[in-house]
Amino acid sequence: MQSKYKVGLLRLNLLLAALLPALLAPASASLTEALLLWLAAGWLAVSALLVEFSHRRPALVPWQLLPSLLLTALLLTAPERFPLWLWAWAGLVMLPQPAWMSALNLLLAGLGWGWLARGMAPEQALLSGALLAGLLLLGLLRSRDLAPLRGAARRRVHLVPGMRLWPRAQLARDLARERARSQRDGVHGELVLLRTGRRRFWPQAQRLCELTRRFEHCYRLDGRTLAALLLSRDAEQAARRRADLLGRLGPVQRLRATPLAQVVSVSDECRALEQQPGSTRFPEEAGHG
Amino acid sequence: MGDTVHARIHALLYALAALLLLGQAGWHYLAGEYTRILLPAMLTPVVLTAALMRLGQPETARLSAYLVLVTGYLLVAMELPGPSSLAPFWLGLPPMLTLLLLPLGSAMLLNLTLTPIWLLLADAWLTPDLVLGYLALVVVAGLAPWEILHQRALLKATDPMDEECDAMRRSALHDRLQSECERAELLGQRLAVLLIHLPQLEMAREQFGSGAHRALLSALCDTVARCSRDHDLLGREGDADFWLVLPDTSESGALLVRQRLELALQRRVLLDTGQLEARLSVCCLRPGEEPASFVRRLQTRAPHAT
Repeated sequence: MQSKYKVGLLRLNLLLAALLPALLAPASASLTEALLLWLAAGWLAVSALLVEFSHRRPALVPWQLLPSLLLTALLLTAPERFPLWLWAWAGLVMLPQPAWMSALNLLLAGLGWGWLARGMAPEQALLSGALLAGLLLLGLLRSRDLAPLRGAARRRVHLVPGMRLWPRAQLARDLARERARSQRDGVHGELVLLRTGRRRFWPQAQRLCELTRRFEHCYRLDGRTLAALLLSRDAEQAARRRADLLGRLGPVQRLRATPLAQVVSVSDECRALEQQPGSTRFPEEAGHG
Repeated sequence: MGDTVHARIHALLYALAALLLLGQAGWHYLAGEYTRILLPAMLTPVVLTAALMRLGQPETARLSAYLVLVTGYLLVAMELPGPSSLAPFWLGLPPMLTLLLLPLGSAMLLNLTLTPIWLLLADAWLTPDLVLGYLALVVVAGLAPWEILHQRALLKATDPMDEECDAMRRSALHDRLQSECERAELLGQRLAVLLIHLPQLEMAREQFGSGAHRALLSALCDTVARCSRDHDLLGREGDADFWLVLPDTSESGALLVRQRLELALQRRVLLDTGQLEARLSVCCLRPGEEPASFVRRLQTRAPHAT
């Protein structure tokens, strides 16, 4: 598939990028410099291992912040060795990032420039500062390109390409519609919540998507809770399907099934899942409790 | 809207760069370095032209990036062989400028081909360390636009909605249509699809620009949303072709929807294109029909034949 191929190329590029600082490290003048270069190489290599074509692991802020801090430290410790890396700030600013991080990057870029400018003639310092500001602005424009796309889309995207797994926000919207629809069609619909371990979450999510029918959507509520909207002809078939599902899904920590007509809200259901005494709770028992 | 704002900011930046060049020429004049005045003075009108071109059509805008790029290259190339100890510092500017102004593929190609030239120009300072540093800058900085492309491709693959309007993308539409077919089969329900074709759409973009194009699209999506039920699905099959999937709807029901929608669409009058024209036709899932063959039937159905 084309997207897979592109991720492979990106990974290769990241590994190549990791190799270069690693080659630079042995010639360092001081231990800190060598350490910083190794850190940069390590960051790029680990990024290469983590990169994938899905929303499963959104980039964490500390992880994104590290290259900015590394570049600042390198410019401060070895300004005579890597003066040309000052221009790399335009690239760092280009990355998709929250606004406060852009501001921080601009600040750090200014700091780096100020440090290098001490050794320059005033007119050269001024010229380089103006040019750097221009490049940073160009980079910022590139990063803002993506921002409107991301904001609105985040809540409605499915999380992995090709997998019918949706974010929690989508469930709240689907719930009301499915309730009305199944009531009108005379179908027994129920919301099933599953609690799994963090480690087994993604394999079980995949399995759940495979085991449900195409028109039954699955959702990721948080790092270890899955939900599915199951539709069956009647309560009896629903119970059979649930048992079948549970058997083929492997062990889950907690399970709760509620007919759609009785579901008040997603957060109520999640709380009930948390507080229920047994590990599984089916609609038949709900009346007694 | 975002595009024009970007174009204006770019043009403003280029104009400021022209001012900077003029300032540089003036500085050389004041310092008495008369031989160095010529280049910045000559490049000033070039960059000013680029600023004006950036505001024009997309092709000329792309050309303006190359003009600015060449200007930057020439200035750095003049600076590098000099006696100044700043040569390694200026070496980092051209590859970054390339990455910022050009799309990733051409930028990387240009950067790698020009590498020997830049390094030879900075001959006096050439060490293996500098070569590695330069290569590291080129490769690492190239990762930033790549990440942008990656994120965009990912959004495109996972966002079910179309970029331009409030309808589903083609891939998501086919997915949902197939699942609705299965659901109809399982529950013994009927399923109808309303095919909508907008004949004015192409003309709207060519004659009135992207604003009119977007207005037409949003008028259609709006009207459809008001005339259909909560679980009806509107998707964009082609550029000007839309499918409205109507679950649990018989042929007569679909004809009724079509009539209602036609009336509502006729009442929409837009600023540029006038009355909204749309051609609608109805296609129903036959009992026992495979989803794939239903999709094929929908696709071969000429959208303008009513």
